[in-house]
Amino acid sequence: MKNGAVDLVQLRKQFGEVAAVDGIDVSIEAGEFFSLLGPSGCGKTTTLRLIAGFERPDGGKILVDGEDMAATPPHRRKVNTVFQSYALFPHLDVFDNVAFGLRRAHVKKGEIKGRVTRVLEAVQLGGYEKRKPGQLSGGQQQRVALARALVLEPSVLLLDEPLGALDAKLRKALQLELKAIQERFGITFVYVTHDQEEALTMSDRIAVMSGGRVEQIATPEGMYEEPETVFVADFLGVSNLMRVRAEGADGGACLTVLGDFSLRAGRGEIAHQGETHIVIRPERVVIEPYESSGANRVPGMIERVVYHGSSEQLVVRLASGDIVQALFVRDGSSHDWAQGTAVQVHLPAEALRVLPPSSPGEMAAVAEVAPPDSGAALEVGAS
Amino acid sequence: MRRVRNWFANPWGQPRALGAITWLYMVWSIAPVLIAILFSFNNGRSRSVWQGFSLRWWWRDPNNSVLHDPTLRGALEQSLRLAGLDMLIAVPLGVGLAIGLTRWRGYGAKPVNYLMLFPLVTPEIVMAVSLFLVFDHLYNVPFGTEAQVLGQVTFSISYVVIIVRGRLLSVGPEYEEAARDLGASPLGAFRLALLPLLYPAVFASLIVVFALSIDDFVVTQYMSAGQQTQTVPILIYQTVRGTATPALNALASLMVIVTLLSVGLAYLVYRWASRAQPVTSSGALNEIAALEA
Repeated sequence: MKNGAVDLVQLRKQFGEVAAVDGIDVSIEAGEFFSLLGPSGCGKTTTLRLIAGFERPDGGKILVDGEDMAATPPHRRKVNTVFQSYALFPHLDVFDNVAFGLRRAHVKKGEIKGRVTRVLEAVQLGGYEKRKPGQLSGGQQQRVALARALVLEPSVLLLDEPLGALDAKLRKALQLELKAIQERFGITFVYVTHDQEEALTMSDRIAVMSGGRVEQIATPEGMYEEPETVFVADFLGVSNLMRVRAEGADGGACLTVLGDFSLRAGRGEIAHQGETHIVIRPERVVIEPYESSGANRVPGMIERVVYHGSSEQLVVRLASGDIVQALFVRDGSSHDWAQGTAVQVHLPAEALRVLPPSSPGEMAAVAEVAPPDSGAALEVGAS
Repeated sequence: MRRVRNWFANPWGQPRALGAITWLYMVWSIAPVLIAILFSFNNGRSRSVWQGFSLRWWWRDPNNSVLHDPTLRGALEQSLRLAGLDMLIAVPLGVGLAIGLTRWRGYGAKPVNYLMLFPLVTPEIVMAVSLFLVFDHLYNVPFGTEAQVLGQVTFSISYVVIIVRGRLLSVGPEYEEAARDLGASPLGAFRLALLPLLYPAVFASLIVVFALSIDDFVVTQYMSAGQQTQTVPILIYQTVRGTATPALNALASLMVIVTLLSVGLAYLVYRWASRAQPVTSSGALNEIAALEA
């Protein structure tokens, strides 16, 4: 049996009056790349620190391979951490940094040498043994931090925004590398990030967190295609949220009313009746000439055209007053839409998703995370 | 005239006015020290009229030179003894206190942090009188070396705490956490991860405490018990108006030399200890500069 399954059961941590982690249930399989995704202050780092043992839970269980670790101090846990700041010991060279854990475990001297050499080669740092952390680049420091944890062969590796301090290009390269290392070593990765793209690229499954609670746990595809809450839809970089009145299912789709227009929405909570939100991905929005007609079309006016190189983003104000973003690849087949053009916006029923109604507090949280017409969504859609 | 003006106040050139002020100040502050040292080599008994070069007040004179006069020698030994003891006691205690104060997040931590500044802002004479009273009436500490050390340690600790705490705050808890994560016990994490990072601050503390102790007059004077426990500052103060010879200048010069040597040594050790620690390399040294000023 593979080791490294982590189960969090009703895990809770208070800081004063604030519940940083508010009774979460998460079940992570052995060998899984699992991401905790959310804005700052959502409780993801606290969750990680609880698993590592740096914080003591106020309630609930932390099961690693079925054994409750809640009362075990960090140095006796079979989990290791890669810190956001790397926390490499500046007074020790690369070899001694990586050997630190092995020495604490009283591994024999000859074996230490072999294991350190092997793990440094695995992270492509062979030959750097005698360097001090201060003499390494950010990316190299990151690899040392990774090697220092990997050399102990933990069953679970915890990573706290390990790529946060690196520049965009290096991040992309290291994302793929991290994923490859995780697959090769077969270790459970619990990965904390606020970068939705990073989570979508690397993870087997993602838990989106907000206000100390888990909003949704799903695969990257599931999370992106089928967000279950307004928060998730918004945080994953899609802000085409429209407030509508739903009138229940009718022939496999939900009839919704958006201002003076009626739209059929074929996905999500199609049986819902009453006030709620519908959501559509920018890349599924179709912009058509004003003359075209048919169901699920709303007239609008192009407010802004944003050129992104390989793709183009249109910001359209609908006749209902809502703002909708459309994103399409510039493959030569599309129109060149100009600002101020009147158009028909086609929102296909099979791409419109009805979300469960949300509490007002949740909507406030959404507004904080991303202003309605921010371009945060685009990188995901374009890649 | 204009050229002089341009040389001095050229907006694109060096800030020469600032340089001039700096050098004026240096000369002003160092000149008395240099003159005092110069007169320790005087051939006569005068400490103000130059009568030719000689080493008689250093070691040539069999009775009155620093090397041979038991009073002068005793004072120097007492000064160094107190400095050594003060360093040995105040630094470990201060490091421990600083760690406790930064890592302890109880209700008392904040007021205690401010109270640590108390010995720094209290006039030393007030402190000395209070210590005299409690030592005499409350604790029955015998005056002399013990009381002198206790008194010096009392105010030295504050400086150590401030220096070490500054370093601790810039280091942050993550190194200890990393060490714990990699299997070190709490004590091991302190010894293997935190302490090496504190070395620069510890050396800075040692040198500051040394300078404080060597310099101290008021507290040391109050706690002394007669001739045997006279330190150099006390001796200088008492003899300077009487029948002082240039030997006293030689003694003072020795103090200057010892202090300079120890500062130089500390700087070298500090450089060595903080190599490859780019994050906060000059933090502790700046602390010294701030305190010494």
